Amino acid sequence: MNHQANKQLLSEEDLASTVLSDLKRVVREYATAATESTCPDMRQLFTKLLNNTLNAQGQLFTAMQQANMYNTASPALRQELDKQAQQYKQTQQQTKQFLQQNLGGQQQSMYVPAGGQQQGSQSQHQSYFN
Amino acid sequence: MLQPMTAKELEYVADSMSNEDLLMKQCAAVVAASMTPAIRNCCTQMISMHQQHYDSLMHAIQHHQQVAPTQPQ
Repeated sequence: MNHQANKQLLSEEDLASTVLSDLKRVVREYATAATESTCPDMRQLFTKLLNNTLNAQGQLFTAMQQANMYNTASPALRQELDKQAQQYKQTQQQTKQFLQQNLGGQQQSMYVPAGGQQQGSQSQHQSYFN
Repeated sequence: MLQPMTAKELEYVADSMSNEDLLMKQCAAVVAASMTPAIRNCCTQMISMHQQHYDSLMHAIQHHQQVAPTQPQ
């Protein structure tokens, strides 16, 4: 009887939401732990647990979204995207000039993202860097 | 050469073990209440993930016990 009452206390949706928000919190805590680690093996461990938790959070989110348990935020308007793109193109230009002035003729080495674990998404993300 | 674990790292390990422990139980509650197969599957898999995380954290403590100083430095 008591058991049944407990079962109905929180809905499936409420329970899943609690897990989802705790996963979000744990992701942040692992990120903090990894960045504040001194031992290389501890940093490696926290980084591994961070990645696993981040993946699990993504999977639960997708499952909840497909079960209509999650209201996604409304899409950003086209004019807002145009505005931000415009503004940050300007920032990018200014920073390029700043770097050229301060680094002069120094050769700038090309940044290559480290780690090839997510090979599928890497080629997709490559285009953002160019 | 294994470096000793810092006091801060140990705090994070202990807090993380509490988190993992709680998440295991929360996932079990979802599995018990859920009627949606995708959610049930996801949480069932997550229980074993949190168990593995807990074990890894426990292993890290045990692994560092041998190199931990016994006097404050």
